[in-house]
Amino acid sequence: MILPLPPPWKDLKRVELSRSGLSCRNRLGRYPASSRHCGKIPDKRRLVFRDDNGSAQTPPAVAKMSWQVASQLALSGLSIGSIYALVGLALVLPYKASGVVNFAQGEIVTLGAYAGLILANFGLPYLALVPITLLLAAAAGALIERVVIRRMMGGPEFTLVIGTFAIGIVIKALIRLHWQDNTFTLDAPFIGAPFRLGPLRLNPAYLVFVASMAVIAGALSAFFFYTKFGKAMRATALDAVAARLMGIETGSVFASAWALAAMLGALVGLLLAPVIGINPDMGQLILKGLVAAVIGGFSSLGGAVAGGILLGLLETYAGAFWGATFKNLVPFAVLILILMARPEGLAGTSSARRV
Amino acid sequence: MRATIPILAFAAVCSVPLFATSYYLYLTELAMINIIIAAGLNLLSGNCGLISLCNASFMAAGAYGTVLLVNQGGISWFAAMPAAAFLTFLLGAVVGFPARRLSGLYLALVTLGFLELVQIAIEESPDFTGGIRGLKVARPELFGIPFHSETALYLLVVALAAVAVFAAWNIQNSRFGRAFDAVRQSPFAAQAVGIPVARVKLLAFAINAAFAGCAGGIFAIVAGFIDPTEFGVLESLKHITFIVVGGLGSVVGSIIGAVLLTALPEALRGTQEYSELIYGLILLGSLMFMPRGLVGLLNKLPAWKLSERTRKEPAHGAP
Repeated sequence: MILPLPPPWKDLKRVELSRSGLSCRNRLGRYPASSRHCGKIPDKRRLVFRDDNGSAQTPPAVAKMSWQVASQLALSGLSIGSIYALVGLALVLPYKASGVVNFAQGEIVTLGAYAGLILANFGLPYLALVPITLLLAAAAGALIERVVIRRMMGGPEFTLVIGTFAIGIVIKALIRLHWQDNTFTLDAPFIGAPFRLGPLRLNPAYLVFVASMAVIAGALSAFFFYTKFGKAMRATALDAVAARLMGIETGSVFASAWALAAMLGALVGLLLAPVIGINPDMGQLILKGLVAAVIGGFSSLGGAVAGGILLGLLETYAGAFWGATFKNLVPFAVLILILMARPEGLAGTSSARRV
Repeated sequence: MRATIPILAFAAVCSVPLFATSYYLYLTELAMINIIIAAGLNLLSGNCGLISLCNASFMAAGAYGTVLLVNQGGISWFAAMPAAAFLTFLLGAVVGFPARRLSGLYLALVTLGFLELVQIAIEESPDFTGGIRGLKVARPELFGIPFHSETALYLLVVALAAVAVFAAWNIQNSRFGRAFDAVRQSPFAAQAVGIPVARVKLLAFAINAAFAGCAGGIFAIVAGFIDPTEFGVLESLKHITFIVVGGLGSVVGSIIGAVLLTALPEALRGTQEYSELIYGLILLGSLMFMPRGLVGLLNKLPAWKLSERTRKEPAHGAP
């Protein structure tokens, strides 16, 4: 949620509602080293919250349960859960194919949003820039796999985890160099006033989130079950060596898994950009995607989708009934609990490991 | 004879206040703190082969623990810092608890989750920690005499760094260090020869946390101000960069990495905006082209005979 800058903070580029109230950042994106600026910021409860359309809202109070509230919350949980599910899918896909979790996936989301921004500055309408951005993202994903990941594959997991993190740092730093910490907006046809459907208020953007997730999940499962290349990818995920012996070009399978995941990430960036604005910190979304993937067991696409939606619902309900602090705690509590109790995920089965 | 080089280096570092300005003194202090962190993390990641993304949280625990014990508990920094380091040691054991079963990727996820939890905890309890506004830290007192002199503080930091390096060296060459190496190379083989793998992993986490907690306690008085943004995931990755660049599993590597990467932003003065990019590129480049770090490169030179065990097996192709 981005607030307009009130006069005393003019020297700050951005004032935002962080996960715990207000924070402010200077030009370099750091919090000021002294409490000088932050001291002037009033208590968060006295701030005017603005929704996506700019109209003032009362601060979200603790909700009282009723059927209407419950279903309204279920709707927003489902929509934000769809975004988490998409990020989760983008993490699980390359993991299944190449055994590497891309910790830079969050930055690919950011990259997608900024690519959309560049294309929009050329005057392209939203619907035209989406396919171009996706193509660019696919190229970027394949490039990352080819240039960096393939050199590291087969190395210790330490190298892979830290290496993908490093890719993320590089991407984010490059974005920061050019655009600093400013927040940009992107126009999209699905940004409009919420409409009423019976007792419920529906935000068109949220409907688009859910619809995209459903379409993509359907398309992916069709791809994996009915196309030859999809079957080749599944075979490679099961056993790369055996797949290569059967004549599958595993190299191109790895590259296309990464390209596909980058497309998903960029799509998430394009979907979110009109709603929350474009800034270099969009990549923090990856944490939610990781939790979604972990809930689903990190190797099943359906599990990632279910995990994302479950996380979205949990977070929304927890936020509504126990407040924002609790909402922020939910994903990490879920992550740690699941990893300690059932590392194979809620739905997954533990597999035997070769010693 | 083997002690000659370390003693000469220690003497050289101790003589810095004779000629350096206070800014360079501060930088050297930061380098010393980073050496402590890198030495501890190298035991965990380099020797034991475990990934930890929450090293910055251990540092935060040490820093906030020390400051709270001093401010609220009213005890001297000289008692508070070891106490906080001990608490961090216990915290490390708690975080290491899931590590007994998990490895690699999943451990990275747990530690990432823990890092975020600590950040939220600091930000959401402003009464204790000052929240995102941070905390001011007073200089310590020794027997009622405030530590006003820059040189005294500097010598204190250097002495602690020397103790940490000495401790890390000895741990690495002890039974525990050899157990860490065995667990990294093959947990199953280690188990088979009677090493209690779960307990060793727990110990590695706790020792690393104690080093980071100690560094945090010193960092608090050196910086004079702490806030949660200094202990985020980027900071953890910076710590990992120290050991990757220096050399995994090598105490000399920890020192080289920490000193070089603390000096780097200074060498690139005027290009502050590029510092994150350069850090990222260095990390990526070292992982891809220099998997054994600078120490690995130095060891290839025939003239260099570092009398130290470094990782024996190549980083690629490990199980």
